[in-house]
Parts: sequence; C-alpha cells; structure tokens
Amino acid sequence: MTRGRGLDGWTGGASALLRRVGAVLVGAGALLAGVAAVAQAAPQPESSWGYPRDVSVEGHRIDWLLNVTSVFVGILFLIMAVWMGIAIAKHGRRHAAEHDHGNAKKQIVKALGLSALIFLIVDGNLFFHSIRDLDEAFWNFAKAETHPEAVRIEVNAHQWAWDARYAGSDAEFGTADDIVTFNDIRVPRGVPVVLQLRSVDVIHSFYLPNLRQKVDVVPGTTTHLWFAAKETGEFEIACAQHCGVHHYKMRGVLTIYEPEGYRAWLGEAQANARVAYDAADLLGHWGWRWDKEYY
Amino acid sequence: MEGTYRELQPKHPAPTSFIAKYVLSTDHKVIAKQFLWAGLVFLAVGGGLAMMIRWQWGYPGAPLPGTNSPIGPALYNKLFTMHGLIMIFFAVTPMMIGAFGNLCIPLMIGARDMAFPKLNMLSFWTFALSQVLIIASFFVPLGTGSAGWTTYPTLSTQVGSPGLGQTLVVVAIFVTGSATLMGAVNYITTVIRLRAPGMTYMRMPLTVWGMWLTAILNLLFVPVLAAAAILLVLDREFGTQFFIAATQGGMDGDPVLFQHLFWIFGHPEVYILILPAWGFVGDLLSFFARKPHYWYRGTAYAMIAVTVLSGVVYGHHMFMTGMNPLLGKSFMLLTLIISVPAELLFLNWLHTIYRGSIRLTTPMLFSLGMVFVFGLGGLTGIFLATISTDIYLHDTMFVVGHFHYTMAAATLLATFAAIYFWFPKMFGRMLDETLGKIHFWTSLVLICLVFGGQLLVGYAGQQRRLWDPHQYTFLQHLLPLNRATSWAAFALGVSQLAFVYNWFHSMFRGARAADNPWQVGTLEWTVSSPPPHYNFDEIPTVRRGPHELSDPSFEKLLGRDWVSQAELLPELAGTTAVPQASPSAPLGAPLAAVMARKEH
Repeated sequence: MTRGRGLDGWTGGASALLRRVGAVLVGAGALLAGVAAVAQAAPQPESSWGYPRDVSVEGHRIDWLLNVTSVFVGILFLIMAVWMGIAIAKHGRRHAAEHDHGNAKKQIVKALGLSALIFLIVDGNLFFHSIRDLDEAFWNFAKAETHPEAVRIEVNAHQWAWDARYAGSDAEFGTADDIVTFNDIRVPRGVPVVLQLRSVDVIHSFYLPNLRQKVDVVPGTTTHLWFAAKETGEFEIACAQHCGVHHYKMRGVLTIYEPEGYRAWLGEAQANARVAYDAADLLGHWGWRWDKEYY
Repeated sequence: MEGTYRELQPKHPAPTSFIAKYVLSTDHKVIAKQFLWAGLVFLAVGGGLAMMIRWQWGYPGAPLPGTNSPIGPALYNKLFTMHGLIMIFFAVTPMMIGAFGNLCIPLMIGARDMAFPKLNMLSFWTFALSQVLIIASFFVPLGTGSAGWTTYPTLSTQVGSPGLGQTLVVVAIFVTGSATLMGAVNYITTVIRLRAPGMTYMRMPLTVWGMWLTAILNLLFVPVLAAAAILLVLDREFGTQFFIAATQGGMDGDPVLFQHLFWIFGHPEVYILILPAWGFVGDLLSFFARKPHYWYRGTAYAMIAVTVLSGVVYGHHMFMTGMNPLLGKSFMLLTLIISVPAELLFLNWLHTIYRGSIRLTTPMLFSLGMVFVFGLGGLTGIFLATISTDIYLHDTMFVVGHFHYTMAAATLLATFAAIYFWFPKMFGRMLDETLGKIHFWTSLVLICLVFGGQLLVGYAGQQRRLWDPHQYTFLQHLLPLNRATSWAAFALGVSQLAFVYNWFHSMFRGARAADNPWQVGTLEWTVSSPPPHYNFDEIPTVRRGPHELSDPSFEKLLGRDWVSQAELLPELAGTTAVPQASPSAPLGAPLAAVMARKEH
C-alpha cells in the first residue's frame, strides 16, 4: 500500500524525490511496526533479580528447595558471623584467654552432635526433597512418556544452534513428513514434552531457565529431558556449556501455545515440511531410535 | 633413635656460588621463595586476565580502555580459559603448596631440609618449564587454549580448538602435574621420615597436617589428570579418538570419559587447594586467640575425613551429563556427607577464638576473613551438591561465585595470612601492619562484592562463560549488576597494590624481625629469622603440641603465655633458670603494642 503510493509519485523532479524519500520512510516505519509486533510475542525481559519467571508445572519444587535452603544457610551464616563478631568484640586482648583444649568428652559429644544435627536438618532436607523431586518429576521419564498426549521432540545441537525434529503425522522420526525447525521449538501447554538430545560436534547444555530444566547434550550419547509448561508465551532456550567462540549466541526460542494453537501450528508446519523435504540432503536425515528403556 | 635422625640429615656446607645458592638451590627455604615469587607473578597475570573478563562483562563489546580494540568472543574465550588455569595451577598451587609447603614442613617438624632436596629442586625447575610452556602458548598462531580450564573434549580436541596453543596448554598441565607429583612424594616422605624425636602425628601443627594430606591427594589423583592430559594430546596430535565420538556409529570414543578422569582429579583438587588453607587458619586462629586449638584431634580427624571423602564425590560435577540416576543420587549423598567434617571444622575454629584473647594482627585478620568467606563458599556448595537445585544452577555464575569463594577467596586470604605470618621468618623483616590491614579490609569487602555479585547473577540464571550475557533477553536486566560487580573487581585489583608496595618495601626496608615476633611455640620460631642454612643445629626434641598457649601453669613458670614445642621446662630440667626459652627479642614498637595483653 505504501509502496504503491510511492510509485504513484514517480514523476521526476525534486518534489518527486521528496515523495520517494517519504515513501521509503513510511515503508521502514511499517516494517518496524511489524518487528515490534513480533517483539511483543518474543521473550520478555525479567523485571527483578532472583529466579526468572517459572512457567513450568514442576519448577516450583526447585524454587521452594532453593528458598528453604537459602533460609537455612542464611541462618547458619548469621550464627557464624555473630559468633565471630562477639569473640572479636568481647574477647580481645583485654580478655584473658581461657585455657581450654576442647577435648573433654562432653565437648566432643557436643561438637559432633551439633554437626550431625545441622547435617540432618539442612542436608537431610535437601537430600530427601531432591530424591523425591527427581523420582516424581525431573528424572521420572516413565511418567512423562506414558502420558497419552506427550509431545516428543528430537534436538540435534551443533555449533551454535539447536535443530529440532518432530516426528510428523506418521509418529516416526527420520521420515519425509518430519517437521524440522531451527532455534525454534514450539510446544503445547499442560502436557509433558519429552526431548531426546544429541550433539554433532562438541558438548552443549540445553537449558530452559524459565522451565527450570537442563541437560548436557553430548556427541555420541543420547540424553533426555522432559518438562511441562503451565503458561503460554515465548521463552529462551540457552546453552549452558561452553561450546566455542559463539557459545553466547547459541540461543533459541521456545514457544508455548495453548493446545489448539499448537495443533494449528503443527498442521501448517506439517504441510510446509512435505514441500521442503529434500531426499538428497542426507545430512538432513538425522534422527534416532526412540528407546523406551533409557533409564 | 637420635642416631637415625642424624644419619638421615647430615649437615652439608652451605653453598657459596650464586647459582648454587639462588638458582639451582636444594635448600627448601630458597625453593619456597622461588615458588612464592613465581606464584605471585602469575597471580598478577591471572588477575590481569580477570580484569579483562570483567571489563567485557561490564561493558560488552566496548574497546578496552586505552585501546581501540574490543575483546572479541574468540579472545574472550582465551581470557577465561587461561585465567582459570593460571590461577589454579600457576598461582595458588605454587604459592600455597610450593612455597609454604616447602617453607613450613621441615621447619615445623624439626628437620634440616626435605627428604629429597634434589628432587625438590627438580620439582621447581619442572614447574618453571611448565610456566614457560603456558606463556609460550600465547604466542603461537591461533593463540592459546580456549576450551575452558576444564578443557572438555570434544571442544578441546581439533574438533573445537585447532592450533598448537591448546596442545601447549595441555602439555603444560602435564608438566606442572609432574612437578606437583615430585613435591608430593617429597612432602609425604619428609613428614613420615623426618619428624624430630617427640614430634608425633598428633603434635604436628595443623599446617603440616594440611600440607601432608594435600600431598597425599596430589600423589593419588594428579596421575589421573596426567593420564587424561596424555590421552587428550594423543587425540589432538596423533589421530587417536579416545574422546572423539563419531556421530554415525562405528569405532568411537566418549567425551564423557574425559570428564570422569578430569573430575576424579578435579574434585580432590579443590581440597588440595583448601586443606593447606585450613591448616594455616587452624594454627593462626589459635596463635592469635592465645588459646589452644579447640579439639585439635577433632580438627585433624575432620581434615582426614574430608581427604578420604574427596575421592568419592566427583560425580556432582557431572549431574547433567545424563548419568545413571542411581549413580547421581549416590554422588549426591556422598557429597552432602562432606558437610559433617566441614561443620566440625567451623565449630572448632569458632570455639578456638571464642573466650580467647584475640590479637587482630594482619595474619589473624586474614585468617578470620578466610573463615568468613569460606563460610559463604561452603554454604553455597550444598545447593550444587543437590541434584534438583543443581539442575537449575549447574553451569551458571552461581557455580562461579561458589568456587571463587572457596578456591579463590578462601585460599588466597589464607595464603596472604601465611605470607604476613611467615614473611619475617622467610626474609628476616616484618611486613608493615598498617598497609597489611588496608590490604585486608579492602580485599575482604571487595571479594564479597565481586563473588557475591557472581552468586546473584547466577541465582538469576546467568550461564557462565558468556561473552555477552545480555544477548539473552532474560538476562538483560542484569547489566547494571554485572557492571557494578566489574567495578568492584577493578577496585579489588587496585587494592592489591597495597600488598605489592608492602612486599617490596618491607623486604628491603621493613623492621627487622625478631626470632619469634608472634610469640608462639612451633619449632620454626625457635631458630633465627631467617633461619640458618641447616635450620636446626641440634635436632630439637619435641615435648608438647603446637598450640600450648595461656596454660596457667606455664604462665606462672615462664612469665609468658606461650611455650615452645621443644622447650624443656625449668622444673623438669631441675633448675630454676630458663635457659631453654627462645629469646624474646624486643618487638617492633607497633607490633609489641598489638601483641601485648592490655591490663584492665
């Protein structure tokens, strides 16, 4: 529309030149507006320090354990600091040192008992909850996989991007109807998303800060990760393992749709995938056996 | 028994030529100084690299001040890689273990030198060769290593890091490991064989305990690193593929194998660096609280327990590699168990200073500072020992903050405590107390700001080793925090100048040190400052533990609150005179005021 108006004024002369410049500016403005519209859906910056917004179903477990442990260690550190402070303030050189080897049975029992008590409370809490969270959520792949609507994706990492592959309508990876994306993973909200990951070059680490998940991506080995999102939006996929010069740019976008939005995208992507399929592109045919017994 | 000691430690004449005295010296005291100088120079190099990293994080892509050239991503990767390697292997290790292990072990156990003086010399010169190699790596085409200090394959193989630089770096690690191994054999043998009569294991100063346990860990685990380094060099230069996985089946290696080898060494390594620090601090807290170390045996046992456990916890570095869940959980439990002996150490340190008569000398301040920052470092460790919290924090700046609090802040503060404490014995002059205190307070505050800033951005999810973290939308808001942390780091760098000036000034112009300026009882303070060529003209006979301070019965007898480990008490000698007492030479005025107990 703007371009048409510009062309209408193509009559030569200074006024025409001005009109052309104006047209270019209007066109650029429209382009910027378009970018802005995309940017609105793009990952949003965080507003405050602390953990990034948690949009996962299970991530609250990690946040809770981090918070509780922060309180525990905060208390321990405070006790230590106050203890040191009192000793320095009150037991300075005006204070006669008490001759005490601290090796009376009572003192030893007290020291050992206190160490054991702190261990049982702080470390015990960490251990207990971590084991439970791993078994119930983060490392419970059986639970995720047996979900009837679980979404399976294969991620092939390389310097410095994430390729993702969806099995397509035949539910088989490595076939002509596979959907392959680049730095762009789209998933539905509310169902488990199970990933198989591999790298073709160096070790990467697939990190979803907003979903509190992470796993190394290793050449020669398949690793796994699953998550379920509770909110929609666009969030970042980050690389957490130093993987070379442009490690800092190994950034992808995870789009979380409502299930109907996801189905709509999947349908469109499926149609495009069939068109884009290139049988001669052998390197494009990656994909691995989906082994149920990996754990 | 006495005969054995004399046979083991004959007196050779002191060397006279410059080369024999200062270069190819077999004297543990000279080798200690060589290691200390080498370590300090590389501390400055590693610190300079850190400043450049912080510049990039504070002002991503901006030209370095005074130049037109920004730090590109490739150079940045070299900076953090070499910062880590240089600080760990070429600064902290030589200063802490090379210098103070050499200085303290023979002097504190009452020996005339190391068990193998020539091996000791070879250890230093092998180490010097590794320093040449690491410096050389900067000047080859494509530059030095850039695969991170952990040199994980396949990034560290030709797949990810072409060029000679990375190979030189790996060879340098191998060579420095060989030097460490020579030192370890020497330290272990010296402690076992050359303790003076009466110096039982449970009378050894905690410094010696720390050094000895560190040497044992080095002996056991450095060879594993050396093996990994050799396999990596073979992969890089000789076409093997131990660590290179083929993407499409066939005969292939496994990059995760390297991580196992690396961390079997790498986790003990952090205890290798912290055990001597615990030793220094265990002794110094007692000395300057003028009080025996609280439950000395418990502290020694706790250090032994950590030494043993350190070999079986390394898997927590690999929680994210897709390891078997049962294996991961086992490593989590074993790692958490380390907090029991660690808590015991803290309780003993705190009990040691509590109800003492604390003298806030510079070495004492640095020791207290070490306890403070190690508290922060240790407590942040349990977040990373636990798998579920580690899922979020793994490979973030939280890890960087945590290990800087332990491996950088705690070890360096302890090393500075040792430098301020033993400088008089090494050089015969005192370091300036005022400059020392300025150095301490600026260092402590700024260390907490720098590494605290790292913990905070890590808590917010910022990954480590990013050229520009703010490329990520979810990290953009951290730029002001990263920039403020950078300024704290620059200030920390500048504040070290107080130490540099103090070091050079005091070495030549400092107040002459008395034989026993801190008035403590360990054996190195019974000889002159600096000690004579063979340390002990007569090998002393040890009669008591290292921390016999403020014992009322001794105080009454001797008129002072300390007693030497080898001192023969008048009542036992059957005389009323006190001839055995080490000379309490007059102290420098400022120090005397600090050390003297004020009357009410």
